Amino acid sequence: MIEINEITKSYGNGDNKFQVLKGISTKICDGDFVVILGASGSGKSTFLNVMSGLERPDNGNIIYNGNDITKLSDNALTEFRRKTVAFIFQQYYLLPNMTVERNVRMGADLAGNSDYKDIIKAVGLENEMKKYPSELSGGQQQRVSVARALAKKPEVLFLDEPTGALDEQTGRQVLDYICKLQMEYKFTIVMVTHNINIAEMANTVIKMNSGKITQINTNEKQKTAYEIGW
Amino acid sequence: MRSAGDTMVIGIKDISKLIGISIIACCAVLVCTMFLNFYFDVYQIKDILSSEHERIFYNAQVSTAKVVCIVSGGCLLITSVITLLFHIKHYIDIHKKELGILKALGYSNVKIARNFWIFGISIFVGAAIGFAGAFILMPSFYKLQNKDKILPEIYIHFHVDILLYLVLLPTAAFAALSIIYACFKLKKPVINLLKDNLQAKSKTEKKMSGRITDRSFIDDLKRNTLSSRKSLVFFIMFASFCFSAMTQMSASMRDLSSTMMAGMILIIGIILACTTLFLAITTVIKGNTKTIAMMRVFGYSQKECCRSLLGCYRPVSYIGFALGTVYQYALLRIMVDIVFREIDGVPPYKFDFPVMMISLVFFIVIYEIVMYCYSEKIKKISVKEIMAE
Repeated sequence: MIEINEITKSYGNGDNKFQVLKGISTKICDGDFVVILGASGSGKSTFLNVMSGLERPDNGNIIYNGNDITKLSDNALTEFRRKTVAFIFQQYYLLPNMTVERNVRMGADLAGNSDYKDIIKAVGLENEMKKYPSELSGGQQQRVSVARALAKKPEVLFLDEPTGALDEQTGRQVLDYICKLQMEYKFTIVMVTHNINIAEMANTVIKMNSGKITQINTNEKQKTAYEIGW
Repeated sequence: MRSAGDTMVIGIKDISKLIGISIIACCAVLVCTMFLNFYFDVYQIKDILSSEHERIFYNAQVSTAKVVCIVSGGCLLITSVITLLFHIKHYIDIHKKELGILKALGYSNVKIARNFWIFGISIFVGAAIGFAGAFILMPSFYKLQNKDKILPEIYIHFHVDILLYLVLLPTAAFAALSIIYACFKLKKPVINLLKDNLQAKSKTEKKMSGRITDRSFIDDLKRNTLSSRKSLVFFIMFASFCFSAMTQMSASMRDLSSTMMAGMILIIGIILACTTLFLAITTVIKGNTKTIAMMRVFGYSQKECCRSLLGCYRPVSYIGFALGTVYQYALLRIMVDIVFREIDGVPPYKFDFPVMMISLVFFIVIYEIVMYCYSEKIKKISVKEIMAE
């Protein structure tokens, strides 16, 4: 369970100070698939960064199973990220001089996961293991980043616009892999997107505008990646 | 009117990063100017030498000047060339996209490469300071070279040839080299320049990946860091080589030559070693900022980041230290056994083990302090760094 209480976050100083998050509170249950929807500048990515421990909030608490991560030291926060969360970004951020296999090992080694090749297979890249990111298509690179994130066996997977740089077909394929893997590994998903259709795949949809949560919806029936519009 | 190609991306800020080349050039020109000037001035008294003892001493001084100019000047010249080429390559790698856009707009390789002449300024600045510095130190140096008054009084003369050969020609040569090398590096299809500069793969890595697959990610990264930038291996080895050779040589010089020579060698050695080490490690960190940020995002500790990126250079630095020890021993043996063999009063030279141990201890302490400072720098790399594109 993730409890978020009255989170605020600002950037800049003095006259240039800009409040991005204005007192956000919500709860995310274990195994949830949460989509955070919002227009550019609504604060959704900042919310994701703060919630995942990439950034510290100015005020408020973020509690993971009773453990307030806003009170953790830098080292403890690193340890938290190591054990609890994983990330998938729009731009993949793979290590360019390392093969697919080695990129995935980046995540796997943190969890002492020796079965990482199964995850590479699960995302359909078993024949590309010795290839470098530059030799892969955008969709394949994103699947490597999915495998890398899941190889560390996270409790919570954070995704920031994971299909933003992909075409429709590849985007659906990547989302499908993520959903299938969630069913198998039972992790929580928190995904930021501006694609309203992807929200239909989630069980909870948080809508944001101007640094505030404007609406929280629950989907009775979650759609698959191939059932949603694009 | 200046075109876009002429007002391209190279600015004063970029040139200021070449301070390392300036320092190396400064050291090279300082040493070479002093000894060459002395060589030319002492040559003028050749005909008035009367005794055999004077002639032997004269020959020893001339030989010393030649050896120092060739060995120190040569070593530092090669280092300057490698450093300059490294910086140009690094600059082109960082600005690939801008250069690719210029090429895509129709600017020729030569037109773009012409702007790289400005890299020669770093040599000019260093050489000019070294040249001026040499003339400031020269009176004391001349006195020391003839402290026993074996030779008649040697007067300092200004030799235009030295200014030409050690300051003006190197500046022009390095400017030309910069243009030629830049032109060579720009001979790539536009699309390759426009692609993300980090998308290149390492052939070494490919070879290695086929052999061993059970290494941990950290070990892989260590190997990758070493193999992907061999020039940095050279610089770190060179830094420890300089430190080792110069500090040990300086201790021996106190007995063989003078305290001034010893001090000069020590200062040049430490400056060269520190400058090269700082430049190399800064490049390692800058070149791996995204990797570090991503590792931090995933939960790798600061220690693990440092171990994978900086730890791999530790053995390299010890090899450099060992090579420096051998180099200084061989050089001094040659000087004492060959150059000064006919001079009376030159103390015998033997390897000084305690000096080597002291030098090694200082080297380890300085190296670890530098590594600690850079590990603090790594700590400050924000996990959001990767998103700041």
